[in-house]
Amino acid sequence: MVGDAGFWFIQILNSLQMSMLLFLLSVGLSVIFGLLNFVNLAHGSLYALGAFIGYSIAQASGSVWLAFATAPLAVMAIGAVLYYALIDRLRNAGPMNQVLVTFGLIFVFLDGVRFLWGVDPLGVTQGVPFSGRVEIFGQIYPAYRLFIIALGALVYLLLHLLLEHTRIGAEVRAGVDNAEVARCLGINVERSFLLVFLLGCALAGLAGAVAMPTFSATLGMGVSILVPTLVVVVVGGLGSLKGALIGSLLIGSTLTFGQVLVPDFAGIIMYALLVIVLLLRPAGLFPVRS
Amino acid sequence: MPSRLPGFQPLLTLLTFLGLFLYWLTADFFGYEILAEIAVFAILAMGLDLLAGYAGLVSLAQGALYGVGAYAFAYAAATLAVPAPWAILLAIAVSGLVALVVGAIASGVTGIFFIMITLAIGEMGYEFFFKTPLFGGDDGFFGIPRLDLSAFGIDLMDPASFTLLLLLCVLLVFLALRWLVASPYGVTLIGLHENSHRLRALGLPVRLYKTTAFAVAGMISGFAGALLAQHTSFISPELLHWTTSGEILVILILGGLGTLVGPLIGATVVILLKHQLSAYTDYWSFWLGLFLIAVVLSGRNGIVGALEELCLLALRRGKLRRQGDAAG
Amino acid sequence: MLRAEGLTKSFGALEVTRKVSLEVPLGQRMAIIGPNGAGKTTLFNLLAGEIKPSAGRIFLGEREVTGLLPNRRARLGLARSFQKNNLFPKLSISQNLLLAQLAKSGGARCFWRRLSHVSAPRRKAEAVAEQVGLAERLETPVEALSYGAQRQLEIGLALATEPKVLLLDEPTSGMSPEETQRMLALVNDLPRDLAVVIIEHDMDMVFGTADRIMVLNYGQVLLEGTPQEVRASKVVQETYLGGGGEAGPC
Repeated sequence: MVGDAGFWFIQILNSLQMSMLLFLLSVGLSVIFGLLNFVNLAHGSLYALGAFIGYSIAQASGSVWLAFATAPLAVMAIGAVLYYALIDRLRNAGPMNQVLVTFGLIFVFLDGVRFLWGVDPLGVTQGVPFSGRVEIFGQIYPAYRLFIIALGALVYLLLHLLLEHTRIGAEVRAGVDNAEVARCLGINVERSFLLVFLLGCALAGLAGAVAMPTFSATLGMGVSILVPTLVVVVVGGLGSLKGALIGSLLIGSTLTFGQVLVPDFAGIIMYALLVIVLLLRPAGLFPVRS
Repeated sequence: MPSRLPGFQPLLTLLTFLGLFLYWLTADFFGYEILAEIAVFAILAMGLDLLAGYAGLVSLAQGALYGVGAYAFAYAAATLAVPAPWAILLAIAVSGLVALVVGAIASGVTGIFFIMITLAIGEMGYEFFFKTPLFGGDDGFFGIPRLDLSAFGIDLMDPASFTLLLLLCVLLVFLALRWLVASPYGVTLIGLHENSHRLRALGLPVRLYKTTAFAVAGMISGFAGALLAQHTSFISPELLHWTTSGEILVILILGGLGTLVGPLIGATVVILLKHQLSAYTDYWSFWLGLFLIAVVLSGRNGIVGALEELCLLALRRGKLRRQGDAAG
Repeated sequence: MLRAEGLTKSFGALEVTRKVSLEVPLGQRMAIIGPNGAGKTTLFNLLAGEIKPSAGRIFLGEREVTGLLPNRRARLGLARSFQKNNLFPKLSISQNLLLAQLAKSGGARCFWRRLSHVSAPRRKAEAVAEQVGLAERLETPVEALSYGAQRQLEIGLALATEPKVLLLDEPTSGMSPEETQRMLALVNDLPRDLAVVIIEHDMDMVFGTADRIMVLNYGQVLLEGTPQEVRASKVVQETYLGGGGEAGPC
């Protein structure tokens, strides 16, 4: 099996798919961390909310596409409430208090989701787009997973265009680089903070909605995706789009190939990677600020 | 940290221990279970208080060290048939050593990165025990024996006796930590929290002190693990998960950082509430989460901080009223 | 006692310190002056070990200390005060001074006795407090002190380690004229076997305490000599002391 090129090709696709989901989650968290200096442990919970809200919208409307379009908006609205109620107040509160409050949010969201949707995994089976199988280079592969890969790549391109070629993007980049100087230059850094945060929430919601048809919406999904996302953010480099992509590819491959080659150690290798990066290059592999 | 109300915390400590003892006297089987849980978490939270409250090092690895202690005891006592007292010492030594290594690594970074590194290393421990068949994997480890004091006429298989032993262990750890924080080493840890940069410039090998503080907290967590293993006679890798470490931190914050009585009160209140509220609602985590957010936003130092402020306020009002009466 | 050879420090393309050499024997008072941005505090950071030089060597006595961390150099007798107060804000004056001694002497490793029962460090702390003029308010927390008192404690912390070489970074910054006079007297009363290097902008302080003066500009040594030589130097007058012949406070 190990010598079979087709098998490895499938694994590459699997790792790309996992990387793209991680990317959608980590890019928001990374830029929020880089720009606001805020660690949001509840980011995973937003992912879970995207999945559950997406499920409900798909069930109610019969359209999964509608779920993909509106679940991110709903999560973004929740993010706006969080921002004004908590995040804004805690921006300078120090890492421990940020960890504590967002940890509290994890509890609140976990029970909230359980109250609204129950304990069983939920998923839509009808009306799921790209539900067939595709043949690539002689291998059969679920089309939906290719969709996820394509979506991730598209989001990367759009974000790249946004950051590099629009004024808002330039303001965000300036704010990540040096918020004080950006303020002095007349840039509305507070507005950039809010926009970045909302976009990050929307992307987390999108990731959840998109993950839901294949992986189901489960209670523990937010908590279990959180640590790999944090690893990606730290390894990739704070505040960096490129870093989030490369970090996601790195961690996605580590987990996927690790699962195949050394299943008992895949997780340990990922954490070891985090520890090594934190010790040798604490700013990450592609930091925006050194 | 100097308290603004001298004598308040010692009084609070006395009342809390008395309260727990009275609870023990009147407890039924479920009461003993609750007390045992309070005892274990009080010890864990006190260890974290030394690290986070005094030395300013917020660690999310304490759960992992707790688990290491539990597994070390379990393996020594059940598999290797080491007598329980030695197995306890072994558990403390092993968790202390592991904590020494973790602390040496983590002390290279500060702030959120320190928290993350402890989280990551803790998760490595969780994965290790989850996947390793030697320790039972995710099925857990069964059949862990308890300390045997029958030679002294004490039957530790009786829940009342064992729970009393656990409470005495809490008292022991509390007194030991009280002594430690009043020593030159303890004041140095407080200095680390206040300004580690200046301490280094004055001659202190800062990383060494951070590492040793981590090791001490690790030993305390390992001790708690060895006690838990004996209490439940079954352990699983969940002990090492970062959410356990998170629970310990939450208990500490709700009780009050840097006070030593805070973790004790925090453990008592949180675990009692958990059991009481679970009877009324299925969603007690929701309320705990809200409570935690409220406590952090309030800026007070948990229950101990809030009580202290209330007392100060009451005393001041009392004084003003007496002054008003005297003048009028 | 304190010797530096060819100290150079670059941050990328920016050379902040260029081939600075100095030698301060025990007992000497050297003042370092120069315009803002001349690299004076960077020089102190290099000497104390807070940053690593790009080139050059540093010696304490016969011992080369170039690669050593700040705490190792402090243990070898180098003490340093900071331009911005760098204290333990929630602790009292006596606790601050005690910590300084514990850090230096290794007494911090004692975990078996209560601090209140260890009397020698406490007596030393009181002596240093006396020396810097803070004897009356030993139990006051630092955050409750005035800026000037905090500045005195800033020096006190460095003194509490009983150093052989003392680096003072702008000790009188932000002080009133009376406080400056007190600082002047304090520095002149320092033990004669101590080597002292002071960065200062206040010329009264400089000419009132220094045996030798080093003038830095753009990271380079412009001139090093006796106060008279420096006062008389045309180059120094033009670049720093402000033309004419009179040295005035900057």
